[in-house]
Amino acid sequence: MNNPLPPLEPIRSAYRLQYLTDEQLDQLQEATLDILENVGVKFPSEKALQVFSAHGAEVDHNTQIVKLERDLVFKAMKSVPRYFRMAARVPEYDLQLQDGTTYFTTDGCGVQVCDMDSGKIRPSTKADVGMMARVADYLPSIGFCWPMVSAQDHGGTAPLHEIDAGWNNSVKHVQSETIMGGRDCEYAVEMATVISGSREELRRRPPLSLVVCTIAPLMQDHAGIEGAMVMAQAGIPVGFLAMPCLGTTAPATHAGAVAMGDAEIISATVLMQLISPGAPVFHSLMQAWADPRSGGYVSYARDARSRYGVVEMAHHWGMPSLGACYGTDSIEAGTWQSAAEPALDPLLAGLTSPEIVTGMGLARTYTRLYPEQIILDEDLYQRARTYLMRMEVSPETLALDVIRAVGPGGHFLGQKHTREHIRTSLVRGVTHEFDSNGKYREPREVARQRVKWILENHHPAPLEKAQQDELTRILAAADRELA
Amino acid sequence: MFNETPPLQPIRPRSQFHIVDEEQVRQLANGTLEVLSDTGVHCPSEKCLRIYADHGAQVDFDRQIVRIAPDLVSSSLSQAPRYYTMGARSPSHDIALDGTAMFCATDGCGIETIDFLTRERRPSCKEDIAKMARMADHLTSIGFYWPIVSAVDHPSTSPLHELDASFNNTVKHVQSETVMGEELGRYAVEMARVIAGDEETMRKRPPLSLLVCCIAPLGQDKEGMESALLFAKAGLPVGFMSMANAGTTGPASLAGTVVAGDAEIVSALVLIQMACPGAPVFHSFMPGIMHPRTGGYLATTWEGTLLYPIGVEMAHYWGVPSLAGIFATDGQVPGWQTGGDAASSLMLCALAGAETGSGLGLVESCTLLYPEEIVMDSDIYHRVRLEAAGLDTSREALALDVIKETGPRGMFLKHRHTREHLKRRQYSDLTAQTDRLNQLRDPLEVAREKANMILETHHPQPLEAAQQAEITRILAAADREIGGQR
Repeated sequence: MNNPLPPLEPIRSAYRLQYLTDEQLDQLQEATLDILENVGVKFPSEKALQVFSAHGAEVDHNTQIVKLERDLVFKAMKSVPRYFRMAARVPEYDLQLQDGTTYFTTDGCGVQVCDMDSGKIRPSTKADVGMMARVADYLPSIGFCWPMVSAQDHGGTAPLHEIDAGWNNSVKHVQSETIMGGRDCEYAVEMATVISGSREELRRRPPLSLVVCTIAPLMQDHAGIEGAMVMAQAGIPVGFLAMPCLGTTAPATHAGAVAMGDAEIISATVLMQLISPGAPVFHSLMQAWADPRSGGYVSYARDARSRYGVVEMAHHWGMPSLGACYGTDSIEAGTWQSAAEPALDPLLAGLTSPEIVTGMGLARTYTRLYPEQIILDEDLYQRARTYLMRMEVSPETLALDVIRAVGPGGHFLGQKHTREHIRTSLVRGVTHEFDSNGKYREPREVARQRVKWILENHHPAPLEKAQQDELTRILAAADRELA
Repeated sequence: MFNETPPLQPIRPRSQFHIVDEEQVRQLANGTLEVLSDTGVHCPSEKCLRIYADHGAQVDFDRQIVRIAPDLVSSSLSQAPRYYTMGARSPSHDIALDGTAMFCATDGCGIETIDFLTRERRPSCKEDIAKMARMADHLTSIGFYWPIVSAVDHPSTSPLHELDASFNNTVKHVQSETVMGEELGRYAVEMARVIAGDEETMRKRPPLSLLVCCIAPLGQDKEGMESALLFAKAGLPVGFMSMANAGTTGPASLAGTVVAGDAEIVSALVLIQMACPGAPVFHSFMPGIMHPRTGGYLATTWEGTLLYPIGVEMAHYWGVPSLAGIFATDGQVPGWQTGGDAASSLMLCALAGAETGSGLGLVESCTLLYPEEIVMDSDIYHRVRLEAAGLDTSREALALDVIKETGPRGMFLKHRHTREHLKRRQYSDLTAQTDRLNQLRDPLEVAREKANMILETHHPQPLEAAQQAEITRILAAADREIGGQR
């Protein structure tokens, strides 16, 4: 038996906060254009360099540095679609990106798992990807799935096994952050075509998208950019994610890191438009901070104020944004730190309105999966989603007749109005649950119980047998060729 | 020898937004006016009833119900100052409620403490207030101090002992939430006068303010209202707080709870303006939602958190500053829930333009003091403060020259710009801390250590000897007069 399809619950904020002024957005855009024109970005891909050359960019084939004049940038950026569709296995879960609606995903690329049965930390496997895809499929807060951990039991073709596990365990859109290289991406396109049914349908309703990391400072990854070109030409949405680290791979000022990361993203976006005008591309910038004592990577500094201004940068360029939420530096789930760090994230994301956002469920700076953490992160998400709904003010909710009837010193408990409204006034997440002694239960324990319940009870519609077989055949071929 | 109290770091949001639109605020305010004129509020103080009656309100002396017509509400509240200053012992720690910044206080009125040394749970005492005042004095997140727990060891005059412990251990403004009744009120005003030095300074830079709770639904507390009148006459700011609980002492719909609570607050603000036109007052709405199984008060729920910034909007509609509800948590121990409950309500209230908020440092629905909780709450406070401050996009911050010099594949670490700015970046002093084996430490343990360090090393400027002696004399008199009676 398959489970029904409850509606997704994206954040639809009644409010919008303009984090950066128009003048600041122009300043940042000018900085990006200055960097692209005068410093350039390294593209270690002969194919990419040839595309740039053919379109009039200044290309140094020895250093592999590409400099882009502003006219070329604006001309190319003009063809980026502001909104597009990220489709799912079932049309009900297609995500039509649009203003004012924000879909969240899971986190991804983790390498360790806290085993549900033994409680021990171990390397992640394909089965873990499938397990968490089922959990993500169940949660209405999750609009699309990132394979949460790496399928390390499948070596060189792990990324393809990850999307296989995703589609076999969720009917939602799958976004990969690991498929790199032209051949790998060709296999991924083939797999996506099996899900869609045809190349035309794949282009119309792509069930797969790809995030490619740039390399700070001002460089692209050979395999990443070549894979992205394959995807873009097939009509699969691609996004570029800059992860500048203040103090080591980026200037130690927020604005400098944003401008530099933005230049990396825009240079790659321009390439996609040159090779495939109109290709769906999204923008993502997640900066980190160097620990001044160790040089280590800190995902959450106390002063993390540029996390959401970058969403406005994406929109200023006319592109959708993949916002950055969650990814605590806490080494455990359910700790003070794992809540204190991301607690503001979904609220501020909702207020700046990125179209898509990553990602719930990992600890230890995106590397360790505690299966219950997605439930705890979802609780923070649902709070923000609720805060950002407009409060209903109507004669029924103002309840003046009820107040009059109760009067000073009275009690509302006996009122019919109270019985009708109290259920919707208090929505419980993982808090405020009682144990058998009438004491509040520990939220992490409640979360662990819920994730176990989901795994026992939620079974999304499987792929058709023919599709499963076809994916298996493609994977076997990829394993032979690439592993 | 004493330590300097660090400068305050209020939240100065670069942007503001409205969580209810103008039409909704008007609907809510009209609801308040309708309740005040048709249903009225219960006021069990003969003195207050006479003031209401003398100023044109419709008073039923038998039932002690006051009904106030909309015009009378408007004309009374039009005299309340929108902005004013709450003074501190140290002038540089005065807090100007001028609409540009939000200052936050500790929580208050807790009744139990996790002992600083034994870590056992016990009733709170005056010494806890003194220690936490020193801690609050050190923390830049704390703009003013609420006596964080109750001086249970001084039963009859505990509110005055709470003030004594506070004034002796922080140079910051003190706000009491417990001085109730004329007797206690008179002594408290006298203590404030000693701190201020003279009458004029007390009015200009009041070192003490008072928060009085209303009694939901639609009731006022006799003792609270009478001490509020005393404070207002002395020029000390007074605020009124509604803690209506949706489902029990308020309607179960959020808008209804706003209206019922707002009516309580506004009725009290009106009284103060009738008695002392122009007296500095503030509005505070900190409701809860009933737990459907126990009827208990829940401070932090998905929907209930929205009520705090809405309270801020209502305060501003009536033209007075607000004391916003922040950091309330139903978490039982410092942990995931206390960490997750705090940030959003603080950010929402700051963006709504709250002038003040309370408070940091308690768990278990504002009843239990863990000494380290205030340090952890401060960490969250600063995250919100920095996030709300907006981004610097100056030429220096854009660092284009540095990016050009470093170029693709370069490294910024060696650049002078990096060395200068990395020092200015603000990192948490609780997270990412390592031990001798280079293992990450538990932030809770680091917070406990930091709390102990503050208590060992921070000793703010004491009161002058003459002030101390005078405060002690006042306390002794109060203990004799009030303590003897009760």
